[in-house]
Amino acid sequence: VEPPEMPLQAEEWNRLKESFRSPEMFETVMFNSMIKCNSPIDVAKSLLTHVAKSDGDVSYNLLVKYLALCVQQGQTSEIHDVYDIMKRRFKVIESGAYNLLIRGLSNSDQWRMALTLLEEVKKVMVPSRTNYESCIKAASRHQEMNLAFELYHEMLAKDLVPTLDVLQAFFDFSRGMKGAELQKELFGMLLHLRENQIYPRKTFMWSIKLWFESIPGGNWRGHLTHIKDSGQCPVCNHQLEDSDLTEEEYNNLREKLVRDVIHGTDLFRKTSPQEFQAFQTFVENRLPFDIVIDGLNVSHINPRKMHCENLFDALNCLAKENARLLVLGRKHMLTNSSNWKRDIMKEMQNKADFFFAENISEDDAFLLYATLQSGKHCKFVTRDFLRDHKACLSDSLTRHLFRKWQRGHQIAFSKKNFLSVFIQQPALCYDCVVQTTGDTWHIPYKDTLEEKYSYRVPRKWLCIQRKK
Amino acid sequence: MQSANMFLKKILRSPALPFVAQCGMKKDLLPLSRSLSLSLCLKKDNPCNHKEKLDLDAWKTVMKSGLPEVSSETVSEHKELSTLAAAHKTVEMWRLAGRLVPENITEEQLKTFMEFSSKSAQKKYLKFLHLKELYKKNNKRKMDEKRERRLETKEQASEPDEARRNSFVCLWASCMDKAYSWRTAQSMIFGQPLVFDMSYEKDMSAREVANAVRQMVFSEGCNRRSADPFHIYFCNFKEDSLYHREFIKHYREAWGKLLITVTDQCYTEVFPKDKLIYLTADSPKVMKTFDHDKIYIVGSIVDKSIKTGVSLARAKRLGLETAALPLEKYLLWNIGAKNLTLDQMMHILLTLKDTGDWKKALEFVPKRKYFGFVSQPIHELKKTLSLVNTLKLGRRHEELQKQFAKNYSKKLTRK
Repeated sequence: VEPPEMPLQAEEWNRLKESFRSPEMFETVMFNSMIKCNSPIDVAKSLLTHVAKSDGDVSYNLLVKYLALCVQQGQTSEIHDVYDIMKRRFKVIESGAYNLLIRGLSNSDQWRMALTLLEEVKKVMVPSRTNYESCIKAASRHQEMNLAFELYHEMLAKDLVPTLDVLQAFFDFSRGMKGAELQKELFGMLLHLRENQIYPRKTFMWSIKLWFESIPGGNWRGHLTHIKDSGQCPVCNHQLEDSDLTEEEYNNLREKLVRDVIHGTDLFRKTSPQEFQAFQTFVENRLPFDIVIDGLNVSHINPRKMHCENLFDALNCLAKENARLLVLGRKHMLTNSSNWKRDIMKEMQNKADFFFAENISEDDAFLLYATLQSGKHCKFVTRDFLRDHKACLSDSLTRHLFRKWQRGHQIAFSKKNFLSVFIQQPALCYDCVVQTTGDTWHIPYKDTLEEKYSYRVPRKWLCIQRKK
Repeated sequence: MQSANMFLKKILRSPALPFVAQCGMKKDLLPLSRSLSLSLCLKKDNPCNHKEKLDLDAWKTVMKSGLPEVSSETVSEHKELSTLAAAHKTVEMWRLAGRLVPENITEEQLKTFMEFSSKSAQKKYLKFLHLKELYKKNNKRKMDEKRERRLETKEQASEPDEARRNSFVCLWASCMDKAYSWRTAQSMIFGQPLVFDMSYEKDMSAREVANAVRQMVFSEGCNRRSADPFHIYFCNFKEDSLYHREFIKHYREAWGKLLITVTDQCYTEVFPKDKLIYLTADSPKVMKTFDHDKIYIVGSIVDKSIKTGVSLARAKRLGLETAALPLEKYLLWNIGAKNLTLDQMMHILLTLKDTGDWKKALEFVPKRKYFGFVSQPIHELKKTLSLVNTLKLGRRHEELQKQFAKNYSKKLTRK
């Protein structure tokens, strides 16, 4: 149905309603299409009047829809009236209407009203993060930074994750303002990005840059740049943090991995205690390795070759400079078959250590364990993203550690030009997070144009330094 | 010309366009179409007609007029709303706002509703209750209709039935029950055991346990009705567990009279280990034939959150043999997980026991999960598959396929 362009009289609404195929749904459907077409509110009012006169009441459902239309068009006085009516008529208002009210009022000059509504919501349930977003934006738009920060901290205390828009609003509206306290808060937000490995979008990056440059007497200058593979910033020649974990983080990750990934709810799901025990003693007797290889994964690189040939090529490529290799496989690789030739397998076992797990065990868990046991220099080879193992880790902090470690230690390879395959896409030697030394900030950001996968890290950076 | 003007005036004076009549009168020479379009946009810009303006906010006065008596009696009530009542109010308001929320909600359900930690879980639970309520209502309506229809037919066919003089006694449900019970009782002495492993309670949510029990009730029913029933064992069954409570909900007092063996012992304590076979979809071994001397174990678990390898881990821990149904071998699989419900398992095992015919047995796999049986010779199957692939991937793939076929034949000749 298409909504009429101007207010209709009662008879005309009646006529329209009768021509509609299910008259009992007519008002709902009509209101939905009014919201979609953004019809003038007078039309909606005339329909409400018609409903009120014929039924003696307007249902809550229709009121909410009318409210949505008013919010869409920023009709503040109407929003007020609807709120009054709802409040008196229904006593309790549900979350959908509150969301609309807060959104509508926070964009108007009566934004303080939105704050009182937020208080009202708090009495019944936890407000959503978009509720907070509207209120914080409204407060900071009117330069009430203290209030905005108060709301922000309240939100964090309730375990709500702030949207990037909220953070951006803080940077936008505190441009040119002075105050150590304010600076500390905003630095805290940048550290929040660091801790959660969040990369700002390009527009957000501009807000950050402009804020830094606007600090009175700060002498900050920002530049857009690419970081070299060596991890050096071309603008300020600063060396970025390396991707190695600290001793404590490393041990933490190792412990959690054994506990959550290998043991999990039941050690039997991935392996068996005997097998794990055997593997542990095997690894400990031969430590440390330089590269650990997922044999089955590598053997599938080139489908035109035999599996064992693929693995053989890989070993030849990697076995330079006396690197100590460990290949993980399954028992079925030992049985002579069309894909696994016994003589080639024998030859390979001279070049590297092999461990064969049971056919129904998971070798990935062993791969991670062996690499972590060998120490920080050890790398591993697989095309697998290991998402399922990351998902087994119980807390998000350890998951971040895992990703960081994986970025620095996993050697990936592409299918193209098979010869140079193992001359790796280098594992990043620097850590890709927001970082600071006090006098410089380096912030990786997502370009809006390039699509970004969760496993890929941005290559573009914002370098900010303080001129002395 | 004169007549045309008259016509115009008539239209302008008509009640539908009173506004145009006022300002358009002076220029009666305007052509008809133009004056109409003009009036349209004038009206949009400027709805200052007195009658309309009064109309537009009339709904507010209507809404406010009924208020005093509603609000006065609730002010005192409003303050002493308990959390439970507040939750009830919000749920009620959600219903008014058109969300999927049940009409009636019990106190117990409200409590579970409030215990959920996330908003999405609450929403899901309310939707579940809403659908349940809907089904119940529909069922009731259908039952009523049926009863009415029965009454009508009864009135029509009031004359005595000829079937009364039939020499066979009609087998009523209770007689059937007796016959079934005899058979099941016999199977408890001579029948092949079938074990349900009831040790998964901690791996499931309350709803999954309820579903599992429901499926087990179904499978017990179809076992009882079969020609040669299994002797059903519930092993690892804990007294007063969630399983137990759910079973009593279903069976009431019949729970004590069921012809099955319920024990808190493990199956390894009841039966010799080498006779046991654990059926699990994760097993690397595929079942070839149904063995009448073995004791099959079915894990009574419903895992909606796809916990792979839970039952395989259990079998591994106890060192039991495992097996999976040969679904891949007989069916062209389409979608869905390979794990089947417990009653489907029961149907399949019963059919296998009676006939040993895989095709017949696998009829009980839900139709949506597979395209068809792998019945035609393999080369025909390959043809259709390659046709599908060419349609999907284009010509290039066809050439690859040919190359593959060549290599393949080479390999064969080498052997």
